[in-house]
Amino acid sequence: MSFIRSERKCVEILRILKEHQEPIGAKRLSELMSEHGFTLTDRAVQYYLSYLDEMGFTKKIGNHGRVLTSAGIAETERALVDERIGYVISKLERLAFKSNFNPETGKGNVAYNLSCLPESQVDDAIRAFDEVINEKISFFSSYKIIDDDPRIPEGQTGIITVCNITMDGILQNHGIPIKMTFGGTMAVADRKPTGFVNLIGYRGTTVDPLILFINAGHTSIDKVIKTGNGVVLAIVREVPDAAVPTVNNIADAMKEYGFMFPIATGSGIYNVRADPYRTSIIAYSGMNLIGHAVEKGLDIRTELGAGNIPFSIFE
Amino acid sequence: MQRPLKFLNHKIEENALDMTYNPVENTGSVIYNLSLIKSEDTESAIKIFKDAYATGLCVSDRVIFAPSGTKIEGFTIPEGYCGICTLCSLILDSLLYQKGINVNPIGGGLVEVEKLIPRRFTAIIQYEYTTVDPITVMISQGSTSIGDVIESGSGTITGNIRECHMESESAVFEVLDDLIAAGFTGVLDVGAPNTELLGVPVNTNYQGIAMIGGTNPIAAFKETGRWAEVQSMKGLMDISNFSLISDY
Repeated sequence: MSFIRSERKCVEILRILKEHQEPIGAKRLSELMSEHGFTLTDRAVQYYLSYLDEMGFTKKIGNHGRVLTSAGIAETERALVDERIGYVISKLERLAFKSNFNPETGKGNVAYNLSCLPESQVDDAIRAFDEVINEKISFFSSYKIIDDDPRIPEGQTGIITVCNITMDGILQNHGIPIKMTFGGTMAVADRKPTGFVNLIGYRGTTVDPLILFINAGHTSIDKVIKTGNGVVLAIVREVPDAAVPTVNNIADAMKEYGFMFPIATGSGIYNVRADPYRTSIIAYSGMNLIGHAVEKGLDIRTELGAGNIPFSIFE
Repeated sequence: MQRPLKFLNHKIEENALDMTYNPVENTGSVIYNLSLIKSEDTESAIKIFKDAYATGLCVSDRVIFAPSGTKIEGFTIPEGYCGICTLCSLILDSLLYQKGINVNPIGGGLVEVEKLIPRRFTAIIQYEYTTVDPITVMISQGSTSIGDVIESGSGTITGNIRECHMESESAVFEVLDDLIAAGFTGVLDVGAPNTELLGVPVNTNYQGIAMIGGTNPIAAFKETGRWAEVQSMKGLMDISNFSLISDY
């Protein structure tokens, strides 16, 4: 029987392995592949796995199954450029759907980002994070230090921050159609946001806009904290005009629990082009915490949308 | 009243209306990128430019190394800095528009090169979705390994891609031939109609054309750990201001 290897399937296997922290066996992989819409026999999965082993993307851990190698992780970030366009957000949408935080009761799950940095830098990171929170240029007013997650490398500490996608999830749960439009950099003058400097639309990129802006040195969060003037990260979402009162009610209820959004809602505000029937919701990004740590020279790595977690861990 | 931000596709279209470059006569205005480096690094930058050109990583053989004090279209190179002007690969898109060809500039990003052959785009930002040049931010982020391509033929460079209607293929090739004759060496690949190019799909009845990013040599310079600031699509300037890389 002739067999045509599909790059798409190879990458899906790599993505599944990437999403799991523990080794996965061929049988389980075949089940997970079929849940993702790719039907493969166990034998075909074996074939793919031996090919991926040969390429150096996966490796066997005894009889437990396979894990990704660092080359395998890199491949998931490089292969299939066309279908990774917009993937940043479709990956986060999964977490939005599972964010069932209830603004009335303060119970339920939120989506989080996981940052890791050397233990010796944790105190500096805490200082950097707190300054951003005190300046009220974040999405949420707290974070959580953890050290018992298998994703945290040896000698490092993890910090969990609330991901802005939580807001999308909660609004979705209230039946509001919400579009994740832009990530951008916002100019701040006299401690007030004045307008976006740059925007990148989530639907047209394979790389996360906010991480890109941080790494390319487009932020000056520390300057905002010190002088009240500079550039910070902010996001744009769009909802139907009729949903605005509900959005404001939810945002008010969430402020009680330490959420800090939105900056503003409106059409054609802060240099964002207007949609005739949708209102933009503009909010500071939780990534300002991370951006500030990077500006301080800390060696911090962040996985966006690392999972969902009960809100109670922040209380 | 603040105006909405311009996205890259708006800027590209505006440039197409203003540029007057004629590759056959090598006259008129071209779109250029302006990068700044420290004056003391000028010699090493020139060397990297020559290496990059020899490896085929320059859009064109034209460049300006402008010492501090030089005026470039109203901008004076500050004391202690050297300005480097390179031609922008979006000159191609402007020429295609001007020839009446149906062209859609798609986007820019990172291209994986293996043994000097472009293999695939590994990251892309579509022009319609960004107000900042994708290539410039990716260079600032440090995502390239152009030095490796110069040394070993394999690594990651920057590039961009547009698509043209297949009906206009012969007109497209005329433009490409004119550009090559005028010293442009930056065409990475031209795809077949209705076929993806370097992993980027095209619309029905369109074909892709991939170009090298004009700021690749600066990125190679930046990879060596020295300071550089890149501004792509800085403006329009007469081609006669440019010199050959080999003259430096």
